[in-house]
Amino acid sequence: MTDGAAASGAAGRGRGLALVLALPGAFLAAFCVTPVLLLVQISLAHRDAGAFWSAGLELTQYRQLADPVFLRVAAFSLSLAAATALLTVGCAFPAAYFISRMRRRAQVAWLVFLLGALSLSETLIVFAFQVLLSSGGVLVKALLGLGLIDTPRALYPNLAALLACLVYLALPYVILFLYPAVSQLDEEMPQAAATLGASPLGAFLRVTTPILRGPLLTAAALVAVFTVSSYLAALVLGRPEQWTVGVRLSNTALDAGDMPLAAAQAVALVAVLALLAAGVRGLGRARRTP
Amino acid sequence: MRHDWLAAAGRRIYLALVAAFIAAPLIVVAGVSLNATRRMRFPPDALGLGWYAAFFGDPQWMEALRASLLIAALAALLAVVVALPLAYAAWRYRSRGARVLAGVGSMVFLLPAVVTAVMFSAFWSAVAHVGHLENVAISHAAMFLGIPLSLLAAGFSSIDPVLLEAARTLGAREADAVRMVVRPAMTPYLICALAYVFVLSLNEYLVAYLVAGFSVPTLPIRIFTNLRTGYEPTMCVAAVLFMAVGFCTFGLIARLGDLPRLMGRQRPLRD
Repeated sequence: MTDGAAASGAAGRGRGLALVLALPGAFLAAFCVTPVLLLVQISLAHRDAGAFWSAGLELTQYRQLADPVFLRVAAFSLSLAAATALLTVGCAFPAAYFISRMRRRAQVAWLVFLLGALSLSETLIVFAFQVLLSSGGVLVKALLGLGLIDTPRALYPNLAALLACLVYLALPYVILFLYPAVSQLDEEMPQAAATLGASPLGAFLRVTTPILRGPLLTAAALVAVFTVSSYLAALVLGRPEQWTVGVRLSNTALDAGDMPLAAAQAVALVAVLALLAAGVRGLGRARRTP
Repeated sequence: MRHDWLAAAGRRIYLALVAAFIAAPLIVVAGVSLNATRRMRFPPDALGLGWYAAFFGDPQWMEALRASLLIAALAALLAVVVALPLAYAAWRYRSRGARVLAGVGSMVFLLPAVVTAVMFSAFWSAVAHVGHLENVAISHAAMFLGIPLSLLAAGFSSIDPVLLEAARTLGAREADAVRMVVRPAMTPYLICALAYVFVLSLNEYLVAYLVAGFSVPTLPIRIFTNLRTGYEPTMCVAAVLFMAVGFCTFGLIARLGDLPRLMGRQRPLRD
């Protein structure tokens, strides 16, 4: 399909291409690359009094990261992210699979529902969870009615409420992320497995799941990235000891006004996440080509 | 046969549970917004539309709504204007430069939101342009650029090269081929990309808060500050408004285009 373009001459093509790419290139340089480089630079800068910093090249902030409190928060955030990723992908995978096998109208309805839910602000979802779990809420009434609790009390803040909200936030994303891969699956394979005597569940676990190992691992990594820095859900639905690295980071930037330290925390967080993502990718590749 | 019946029932029950989980908080908030009293009760004790009147009569909420809509529209437009030439060049000229740029553009989307927020707040204060509405719009455009990039790339790759070839064989000039083949194929993808960024920007609060939270309070920022200070029933009305915008936007896209295909399904789907 590029034959026509080739015929119009390499020089013309080059100039045309440069023209087409000039505006996006300028935007990317100014608003995607510069902020990232600036963040790295600030993380190495010298902190002055107040919220100010001056250009420098020192590792003061990175040394401060070794603070045991920060390391504990980071470790908690990572395990919370891993738990959320596992739960979300575990719930989302069968859902995406079933949805992709529905009739068109039902599929479209599900996709609109998921896209609508996915677009809802985290502020709204956290607020909705607050209402749902409040001491006068419908859930508490149901538990009282069933005799599972004696006195009406709010069902948050605690780890379960936080985890439920984090799964809620990620679930539509993951179902939609898995949808293309799942809808590409052959019907014949599980059917062949069934003919050979496998139960539908057995066929799903032993035939369908291994084929999708790559997308499943990627989805889990994405959830972990989004969760590790979750801010509002942790702040409102979790106890202070369950506050994530995201809460910590924005507190450093906003309340303490220590931009260089916040930048160093951000850079370190991204580095750890990138390493984890690379590991997950490697895992997906290694298993797929035995 | 018995297995089939069981499997179908299990499938239905599972999906019903997932739907209930996703719908529950939304139904509760919508219910609370209809409360006649100030209390955060569900199901409501007495019904009334009083909070809707209060919401639309409150100049502060209206100001926040206006700012949110303006930011979202600007961010959507900007993200698509930047993404379209990149996706086009990557597809039409198989340009490696365009692909590298697209990779750079998707990068910010993969950063945790807190990192993006700290990064842009540092950036805008470094360029000494603090607290403006356009800062939030540009930051959102950069943050969500990955979405139009991947949607538009998918759109271009869905165009059958045979059609383009046929148009040229029949003597169509490049511009005509684009008009006749590329534009109709790309329209649903463009609309979807615009809508996606619009809705995500409308709902984003952390970057908006750190970039210009005090001078440009958007709807999510107002909800966020209310969350920390105390309950206000008009928050539920804002929530219902958001849900309505989200579901209507994507419902409309589903009417205009082939949503399963836009979401990446390649196999044909029976009705």
